[in-house]
Amino acid sequence: MNIRPVRVEDLAGMQSCNLQNLPENYTIKYYMYHAMTWPSISFVAEDHEGRIIGYILAKMDEELAEGEEPRGHVTSISVLRSYRRLGLAKKLMVQSQEAMAQVYRASYVSLHVRKSNRAALGLYKDTLGFTVHEIESKYYADGEDAYAMRLSLKQK
Amino acid sequence: MSKALARKTPLPSKEATLFKELLTLYETRQIKKGLKTADQILKKFPEHGETLCMKGLVLTHMNRREEGIELVKKGVRLDLTSHICWHVFGLIQKADKNYEEALKSYTQALKFDKDNMNLLRDSAQLQTHMRLYDGLVETRHTILKLRPNQRQNWIALAVAHRLAGNPEEARNILEHYQRSLKNVPDYDTEHSETLLFYISILEDLGDFTQALSVLDSNSRSRSIVDRTAILETRARILTKQKASETEEAWHALIQHNADSYESYRGFFASQGISLDHPNPEALAKLEEFIVQLPRAAAPRRLLLKVASGDKFAELAKSYLVQGLTKGIPSLFVDVKSLYVDAEKRDTIERIVEGLREEYAPEKASANVEPTSYLWSLYFLAQHYSFLSQPAKSLALLDIGIEHTPTLPELHLARARALKRGGDFFGAARAANEARLLDGQDRFLNTKCGKYLMRAGMVKEAEDMLGLFTKKDAPSPAADLEDMQSMLFLLESAAAYSSIGRPNMALKRYLAVKKVFDDFEDDQYDFHGYNLRKFTINIYLKLLSWEDHLRSDPSYVTAAIEASKIFVEVSDDPSIVTTLTSSNQLTDAEKKAKKKAKKAAQKVQEEKKAAPANDNKELDPPPPKDEDPDGLKVIASSDGLEQAAKLLEPLKSLAANNIDAWISIYDVAIRRKKLLQAVGALKRAVALNADHPELHVRLVDLKLRAASLPKTPPAPIGPVFTAALSKLIPAEVSLETFNSQYLQRHSANGKAILAAARVLRRLEAHLGEVENAVFGIFAQDVQLDIPTAVAAYRFLSSLKSSRTEDFSTAAQARFPPSTVFKAPSEQAALRKVVLENEWQVDAQDEKTTAET
Repeated sequence: MNIRPVRVEDLAGMQSCNLQNLPENYTIKYYMYHAMTWPSISFVAEDHEGRIIGYILAKMDEELAEGEEPRGHVTSISVLRSYRRLGLAKKLMVQSQEAMAQVYRASYVSLHVRKSNRAALGLYKDTLGFTVHEIESKYYADGEDAYAMRLSLKQK
Repeated sequence: MSKALARKTPLPSKEATLFKELLTLYETRQIKKGLKTADQILKKFPEHGETLCMKGLVLTHMNRREEGIELVKKGVRLDLTSHICWHVFGLIQKADKNYEEALKSYTQALKFDKDNMNLLRDSAQLQTHMRLYDGLVETRHTILKLRPNQRQNWIALAVAHRLAGNPEEARNILEHYQRSLKNVPDYDTEHSETLLFYISILEDLGDFTQALSVLDSNSRSRSIVDRTAILETRARILTKQKASETEEAWHALIQHNADSYESYRGFFASQGISLDHPNPEALAKLEEFIVQLPRAAAPRRLLLKVASGDKFAELAKSYLVQGLTKGIPSLFVDVKSLYVDAEKRDTIERIVEGLREEYAPEKASANVEPTSYLWSLYFLAQHYSFLSQPAKSLALLDIGIEHTPTLPELHLARARALKRGGDFFGAARAANEARLLDGQDRFLNTKCGKYLMRAGMVKEAEDMLGLFTKKDAPSPAADLEDMQSMLFLLESAAAYSSIGRPNMALKRYLAVKKVFDDFEDDQYDFHGYNLRKFTINIYLKLLSWEDHLRSDPSYVTAAIEASKIFVEVSDDPSIVTTLTSSNQLTDAEKKAKKKAKKAAQKVQEEKKAAPANDNKELDPPPPKDEDPDGLKVIASSDGLEQAAKLLEPLKSLAANNIDAWISIYDVAIRRKKLLQAVGALKRAVALNADHPELHVRLVDLKLRAASLPKTPPAPIGPVFTAALSKLIPAEVSLETFNSQYLQRHSANGKAILAAARVLRRLEAHLGEVENAVFGIFAQDVQLDIPTAVAAYRFLSSLKSSRTEDFSTAAQARFPPSTVFKAPSEQAALRKVVLENEWQVDAQDEKTTAET
């Protein structure tokens, strides 16, 4: 499967992939906002016919206090169930992290995951090396708590 | 002097101060205070236009939109020379997405305050939005002259020039700008973006040498910070230059991201090596990459494309073994594109059949995982289903499911195989079985919803999808529509069509149209935003994407299908009366509707209850759904005009789509647009002269032309007649024309049906038409289920007495299919689709209790 930086014409495919896979959904304008602000840190995976089968939608933290180091944030990452076990999530994540570090000098990257989502938690922790930074209570609209996780990008 | 001007007297100082306060209050969004202040002024000067406008603006932020707009209009009338009045009017029109009128208001406002930066900026945004690029250049120029110290104003003018098609001017501006730059900090992403933009302009101008030298020197100095962009730009420019370093540039990109097919393609193209055919040179190079980049998947997969014979068999085996032992679900989908080569297809079949035997439980050695066996069954089931051998596929899946009943993929594959055979109820049932194995997985839920739609179980599908939609949305459908789910809208529309509810189908198709309108509107804010952020390169791509937005297949389908419904209703208005009189809703649906109505009411009430003071957006609130059943829109008196508007973008954006031209014809001919109609058929003929739908239209056009009361006057008449005679020969009778067509395509089910429809149009005897329809069952005729269904519907529309015979014949032709069964049989099948829910749930509880 092809992994490459996001293009404008991918946004609708990302949205459709997200809607099939995850309970947190967004209108296209939110995808646009990411691409228009940080064009080089979101990535997609596509199949042989150019269909989007996975993506990482990423941003930089906009509320930096004076002297704070920039940090990246993963808004959403997902791979269609039918394309799992290919290591696509990891490849997408690595590409995005490299771009965050390199274009914006991000010191670490953060993300949120549902407490109940054990599969994703395993991926972030074991495969990608994230650690739980804190628990954000009632982070999701339905009242579920989130683990706020982080991965340092410094030693790279 | 006009009356309005005469009436304009300046406010006394107390009120003038209040008015200034009012402006500040509005800008800082202190809405309630603003209203008070406005009222204070109006108490003494009730006819003060600017205050009236400001009060109106304030009201629109307080959920008193209508009232506010009235006041603004009144204010403008009272003070036609105030830039404030026109500005406010423009703001309101802009919020209503009435961009054209908004720009007019801004232009008026600028007449009375020509250097007003807010007005100029808003005008520039509107001009960009409406693609009025010459005007944009002018506005950007004015802004730059007024504020030359702001960096973004230079860039904005360069962007305007680039959009207006003057890259030379853009280059001059950017070079001028760069000379004036001082002290750019390190790692400045804004500067980096600007340089990349400059390079792209040089590229547009064909000045590759300069582009490359700017790129290289600024990469070295780290002024350009985006390494991916550097590498991509470099490779792209070198390729255009056909330079010797091209190969190296692509190589660097591959090192940077080893899974981008584009980079491999670029690399091999630069050496004149094909990746599309068996080719030993490519093979050797790719094997080198595999050694260098052991984690990359792309070169391993590309290898299968360029290998052949024994080498292919060897590589394919290791690829397939790895996929099966790792349990990669997409393995079949991944390799099936190799099947264009029949030899490769057979090799793959042989290999996986062999592996299945090797992995089988009764034979397998201890170190083979039992899952490998399962995945080999899964692979082969998809393989045979793809090769139209559904029975073989289903048999394999049965073995798999018996072996391991808990793998959702097997049930989904079963659903797909059943669907291909036309057993839509069985397919939905299988998809639900898959879903029940992992209730937390939205992917499985979506599939199940989709299959329920395909079975025409719209209500059940919505409930199913509702397990994952927002709980506070009025209904699952409303949430999916808000979230712009094309999949849902299109599947739901098709499902409603299939169960005879064109009103709901039309409603859904028009919802797709609305999503695209929103996509188009969404760009508006970015016209200002990206310039502030200096993200110009992606912004230019956004604009060009927006310009081609409606070439998206979802829009094309929705436009064509909605038009078909409008055309049907225009031909037979009784459809609407039947729909309106027959109460279509089942009890379950009525209940759901009541519930949805209540929920919607609650949302509305909550909105009202919310404090109506600060920070309400200027945008109008989402309107209430006044047409929940689509019965109003399907009864529109201007249906054909709506259809014409829907289809308009397809003329340029789907110009190679014959269905689009046929729909364009259908609408144009009914709107008496003769030249448009004949032009559309001309385009269709050029695409595929033998298309069955086109055949029907050609005859239709000829008949309609013959029944015109008189030939239209010149210039239309002669042009039309000439074009018509080129499309369909004048000397041949339509009966002969039709029988010749049938003869040419006697083995094509769609063509046979088209010929039958033409017979009917030529008022042939019913029996003759019926016989023609039954012709689709003749031996050797290519026939698919949708065509058979269309034929059945056609027969029914003729009130033919042979519909039952037809169903029997169709059932014999497609034994597993459920679509030709009698309503009572279908009802029984429908009942059991979701029946196993409680059984599996109960099982779940048992296993949980045990563990």
